[in-house]
Amino acid sequence: MEQHLEEMKRRVRDGEHNRWRQDSVPDVLAECEAEGLSWVRRAARLTRRMCEAERPVIEPDERIVFTRTLRTIPPVYSPADWAARTAGRTVHELGCVNNICADWGMILSQGLLGRRQVALESRQRLADQPEVVEFLDAAVETIDAVLGLAARYAHEARELGRLDVAALLERVPAHPAKTFHEALQALRVVHAVLWLSGHYQNAFGRLDQYLWPYLEADLRAGRLDSAGAQALLAEFFIASNKDADLYPGVQKGDNGQTLVLGGVRPDGTCGVNGLTRLALRAALEVSMIDPKINLRIDPGTDLDLLSLASELTRKGLGFPQYSNDAVVIPGLVAHGYDLADARDYVMAACWEFIIPGKGMEVVNTGAVSFPAAVDRGLREALPAGGDFQAVLEGTRQDVRRQVERVVGDYRRLILPPAPYYSIMLDGCLEQGRDASEGLKYNNFGIHGAASANAADALAAVRKLVFEEQSIDRATLLRALDANWEGYEPLRCRLAEEGPRVGNDDDAADELLVKLFGYLAQACDAAGDNGRGGRVRPGTGSAMYYVWLARGNPGMREPVVGATAEGRRVGDLFGANLAPAQGVRVRGPISTLRSFSKIDYQRICNGGPITLELSDAVFRDAESISKVAMLVRTFAQVGCQQLQVNTVNLETLLDAKAHPERHKNLIVRVWGWSGYFCELAPEYQDHIIARQMHTMV
Amino acid sequence: MLTGIVFDVKEFAIHDGPGIRTTVFLKGCPLHCAWCHNPEGISPKPQVLHAPSGDRVAGTVYTPAELAWILNAQADIMRANEGGVTFSGGEPLRQARFVAATARLLRGMHILLDTSGYATKGDLRLVVALCDMVYYDLKLIDPAQHRRYTGYDNAPILHNFHVLGGLGVPYVVRVPLIPGVTDTDDNLAAIAATVRGAPGLLRVDLLPYNHVAGGKYAAAGMTFAPPYDEARPLNINTAVFTEAGVPVHVA
Repeated sequence: MEQHLEEMKRRVRDGEHNRWRQDSVPDVLAECEAEGLSWVRRAARLTRRMCEAERPVIEPDERIVFTRTLRTIPPVYSPADWAARTAGRTVHELGCVNNICADWGMILSQGLLGRRQVALESRQRLADQPEVVEFLDAAVETIDAVLGLAARYAHEARELGRLDVAALLERVPAHPAKTFHEALQALRVVHAVLWLSGHYQNAFGRLDQYLWPYLEADLRAGRLDSAGAQALLAEFFIASNKDADLYPGVQKGDNGQTLVLGGVRPDGTCGVNGLTRLALRAALEVSMIDPKINLRIDPGTDLDLLSLASELTRKGLGFPQYSNDAVVIPGLVAHGYDLADARDYVMAACWEFIIPGKGMEVVNTGAVSFPAAVDRGLREALPAGGDFQAVLEGTRQDVRRQVERVVGDYRRLILPPAPYYSIMLDGCLEQGRDASEGLKYNNFGIHGAASANAADALAAVRKLVFEEQSIDRATLLRALDANWEGYEPLRCRLAEEGPRVGNDDDAADELLVKLFGYLAQACDAAGDNGRGGRVRPGTGSAMYYVWLARGNPGMREPVVGATAEGRRVGDLFGANLAPAQGVRVRGPISTLRSFSKIDYQRICNGGPITLELSDAVFRDAESISKVAMLVRTFAQVGCQQLQVNTVNLETLLDAKAHPERHKNLIVRVWGWSGYFCELAPEYQDHIIARQMHTMV
Repeated sequence: MLTGIVFDVKEFAIHDGPGIRTTVFLKGCPLHCAWCHNPEGISPKPQVLHAPSGDRVAGTVYTPAELAWILNAQADIMRANEGGVTFSGGEPLRQARFVAATARLLRGMHILLDTSGYATKGDLRLVVALCDMVYYDLKLIDPAQHRRYTGYDNAPILHNFHVLGGLGVPYVVRVPLIPGVTDTDDNLAAIAATVRGAPGLLRVDLLPYNHVAGGKYAAAGMTFAPPYDEARPLNINTAVFTEAGVPVHVA
C-alpha cells in the first residue's frame, strides 16, 4: 500500500482524528419541543442540525474527505414523550430504522439535486395530502442539510488551497457523480450522514455493481488506472473505519458496515467485474475490520477469485463471508421475492439477505432457542411415558410457541419516520411515503439458534434412552436438574456416545433438518407479520449462543439449563451453523455435508456455517488454492452461507484456558497437523509464542 | 475377517499431498524414532489418550469396506478437487493387506502412501501398485546413527528405496530435519547421493523440525526425552541437493 495510505491507516488506528471531535452536540430536543414539531419533522431537524454542527476537517493527504466530529446523536423526544408514543408498541433495538441497504446506485446517478427535484414534483402532484407534503418537506430539509454540509467542506477546501477537494465537493453529492473518485466522495458523505441521523448498521451493498460504471468510464477515458483506483478505494475503506468507535453495537466492530462483491446481475448474467477483484485487493491491503466483505459465489465461481478471497481469510479478519447464489436466490424467490430483486440481494449487518433500496425488513426480530424447545419436549414426553415421536412433537410445539411470542411482539412494531433514509430508498419520494411505513419487501427474520446442540441432544436421547434403553428417563431428567452433579458418567455417555451434527452422520443430521422444518412450519403458520410481509426463518445465532445459555436483561427468549447432549448449565452453545462446542469431527468436508442437508428453500434468513482453520493452513500459494477449493466445495454441495476463520492468538489463548471448547483447533506440527488441545501445556505455550512472533 | 486399526481420519489434510484429501492414520509402527510426533501411532493397540480436553480412545478397528465407505462418501468431492486419500501412520505398510484391500475399494481417487519404508518388499509392492504417489521418508543414511535414533537398522529402508524406483509410481523423498541429527551436512549429502538420479523421484521435501513434536506424549502416557538439543538452530542445506541436480523444497 502506498506510503500515505499506510500513514492514514496508522492515524486512524491511533485515533488521531479524535482531536477534531467536539465536546457538545446540538440541543435538537429543545427546539423540537418549542416548535411543537411533528415526528417526521423532528427526524429531519436532527439531520439538519447535525449537518450544520459538523466542522469540516480536511487532512493534507486526504483525497476523500469527511471526518465526523459529533460524538453522539442527541434525542428528539423527551423520555416521557417517547414512552407515550411507544406505549403498547414494540420498539426494535434502539428504535430507529436500521440494518437496511440504500439504493446507492440511484443516489449516485441522480445526485441529491435530482432527488430533490423528484421530491418537489411529488409535492406538487400530491399537494392535497398534508401528511405527504410534510414528509416531502422533511425529506427536502435533509437534502438541503447535506448540500449545506458539502458546500462548507468545499469552502474550507478552497481556503486551504485544496482545489481538488473543493472541485469534488462542489459537484457531489449534489450532482450525479461522473467519475469513480466523485462517486466514492459522494458515497462517503451521504453514508456518514445516515449515521449522524441516528441510523445504524448502514450497509454499503453491491459496491462492485454500482461503482463499476464510473470506474469503467474512467479506465476507458484514461483518467485513472487500476493502481490509482485501488488507492482511492483503499482510502475509502480506511475512512470507513474512522468513526466506527462512535457506532452503536453489541460489541465494537459489530456495526454492520457490510459490503457485497460478486454474484449475478439482476438479469442473471455474471456480475464479477474489474472492480470485484480490485476491491478484494484493496481490502487485503488495508486489512482493517471495516467494511466487512461478503462475496457472492456459485458452484462455478473460478478458483482465481476464490484464491484472492482466501488471501483475505488468511489475514484473520473474519471475512469474506461467502453466500451461494445457487441456493440463496431460489430461496428468496420461494419467499415471494421477484427474481430480478432476489438476484440483487445483499447482506444486512451480519448475514441476513436483504434487497437494496427495496427492503424495509426487520431481519433480526429475535431467536428461537432450539435447545429450550427440546428441553420442553423431553420434560413433557419422558415422565408421561411418551415415545421419541412424542418428544419431537413437544419440541415442535414449543418452537411454534417461541415463534409466536416473537412475532406477536413484532406485530406491534413501531418505527419512527426516516425522511433522510427515504431519499435513497426506492419509491419513497416518488410516492410521498416514508420508508418506515414499508417498502416493497417488509419481512421479518428470526434466528434458529443453537441448532447443532439441540439436534445432538435429540440424537443422544433417541439412541440411549429409546433405542438402547440404557439410560432411564427419570434419571436423565434428575441429572439435568442437578446440572449433572453426581451424574458425571451419565453426562459422558450422552456426550460421547450420541451421534453428533457436523460429522455427516444422518442419525444426527436428520434431526437437525427436522428442527429447521419445525421452524419453517412455525414461520409459515405465523402468516402476515402485520407489515404486509412474512417471517423468514434463519440459521444464524448472532449473540444468542451466549444469551440463550446465560440470559441477558430484557431478552424475550427462554434460557435453558443443562442439556441432554451433556452440556452443563451456562456453557455456551455453538455459534451459527457449527458443530457444538467440544465435538470432535473428521473435518470441514463432513461438516459442510452435514449442513448441506438443511432445506434452504424454506430456511432463508441467512446464518453462516462457521469453519475455523489454523493460519498455518495458509502458509503457501498451494494451500491458498486448497482453501479456495474448500470454499467452492461449500457451494457445490449446496450450502447457503460460509464463514472461514483463521485461528489466531486470541483463540489459542482461549483454547488453552478452555480446551473443551476447542477440540477441533488444529495446529501445524511438521508434515502433519495436530489438535492443539491434545498437546501438553508447554507445547501449547510454544505455539502461542509462535503466534505472538508471527503477529507483527 | 480382515480388519485394520486406525488412530485418526482427518479431512482437508492439505499438507499430505495434492488437492483436497483425507488422511487415514494407521496405528502401529515398527520404528521408534526419537522425534516421533505421533506417539499414539506407535502401538498397534487401541489406547486411551488423557488430553486436557477430555479422554478419548485412539484406535478404531475397521474392515476395509467400512473404511472405504467413509472415504467413498466424499469421492466426488476429492476427485473434483484434484485430491484423494493419503495412507499415513504409524506405518501404513505394517497393515499392508488392510491398506491394499481398502485402496481397491476406493472409487477413482488419487491415492498416496506416506511410508517410512520399513517394511517387507512384498508389502511395499502390494500397496504401491495401488497408489498414484508415494511420500518416502529417508531419515539417516548411516546405519549406526539410524539404529541409535530409530531403534532399527535402515537396510530394509534403503533396499526398498531402490525397489520403489522400479515400480513406476512417482514419489517424493521426505527428510525430517532434526537438529544435529538428520540435518548434518554429512547426512544430507549422503541422502542426496542416495536419491541422485533415482528413477521416478519428483523432489526432496525437507521438513523443518517443529518444536511441538513432543506435545502428545503426556496424553499418551509416555515421556518425551529427545536425545538431541531441540533448541539448536537447523541446518537447512538445500545446496547439497541442488548441486546433485535433485529438486528440493523446504516444506
